[in-house]
Amino acid sequence: MKIGGYLFLGLLVSAKSFSQKINFVDATLGGAKYQGTLSLSYVHLWSLGAKQIFFIGIGGRFTSYLGANQYYITAPAQLTSESTGPLIIFKDNITSNIDTFLVKSPQVNSINASINIHYKLSERWSIGFNIDAIGFSFGGKRDGNYINGFTGKMTTASPTPFNVLLISDNDRGTLNSEFFAKYSLNERCALKIGAQFLFTEYTTATKVQQFPEPNDRFRNKSLLVCAGISYRLKSKNKL
Amino acid sequence: MKSFAFLCLVLAMLNCMPKNITPAVPPASGSSIFDSTKAQLLKTGMFVGLDGPTSGTASVYDQAGTKYIVLNPFQSHSGPDLYVYLSKDKDAVDYIRVGKLQAISGKQIYAVPGKPVVSDYGYVHIWCQQYSVDFARAEIK
Repeated sequence: MKIGGYLFLGLLVSAKSFSQKINFVDATLGGAKYQGTLSLSYVHLWSLGAKQIFFIGIGGRFTSYLGANQYYITAPAQLTSESTGPLIIFKDNITSNIDTFLVKSPQVNSINASINIHYKLSERWSIGFNIDAIGFSFGGKRDGNYINGFTGKMTTASPTPFNVLLISDNDRGTLNSEFFAKYSLNERCALKIGAQFLFTEYTTATKVQQFPEPNDRFRNKSLLVCAGISYRLKSKNKL
Repeated sequence: MKSFAFLCLVLAMLNCMPKNITPAVPPASGSSIFDSTKAQLLKTGMFVGLDGPTSGTASVYDQAGTKYIVLNPFQSHSGPDLYVYLSKDKDAVDYIRVGKLQAISGKQIYAVPGKPVVSDYGYVHIWCQQYSVDFARAEIK
């Protein structure tokens, strides 16, 4: 992840040196069974290369997530994979270490800095990817049912306050990401459709999980269909 | 075109079928190991419906060290993802998930997993796990 981060920073520095700049704001709605999101973003892109079809950039995103009866599972990589190293992505989950936390009405809000990549396919069409990198979350306490085999406890939980993108289950907090295709309606407005992959995380009031070690963090991974609209603030290029 | 429409209709019907609904009567097999003549009654109590009408009696027995919960008589209403919980308190803050509710009516027997100290447990719940709703509760004494 560190290498990826340096690579991204390197690309960003080289892009800034000779690029075209584009700023836009973006509003996106996501939906899946018993789940929904509203995301508001600001993105600043720089073109990379002479053709000006590849753009990278940074931004900020507010995401509000609302769900009903969602199952969260043990979050820390130390438990899910018994590893925190870079090779964790190749490790299978250790199911005996993973417990369930059922949240009746999860609602999590997050504000994160984001990494953005766009690729222009034609005058009107582009595709892109973005992912939250670091930020914070907030939201009210929620009731939940911690389930561990045949025993369980009812407890309350709050959104994990600090978010950071690392590797696989080393991630912490609420992080949003999108793959999308964008169609420019005119110089300023574009429509967006794609898939949203959202992690939300709750921290229980007490360390309800005790085996193999105490844990209070539980994560939900949601795949949502999303659609949105972008409004460009600067630049002449359609995106 | 007709076959496509028929396929869509079948898929729509399948999608509309109720999922995870508790049967009306218990399965024939039941808990054949439990024998009420050899078991000792530890606690019993009447159900009170909390989310619709539920009535009946929950009893906890000990038979050769294994604890059993017997619902007899029992009558409830249907719902998704219904479980029998044995809890220490009326809000089921600390509970044992005894098993999926076998049926919404009729006598049914559940072996309690683990080795619970029954004196610590005061309630039997019919709990809708998916929606976190306490359908009914029996205080057992």
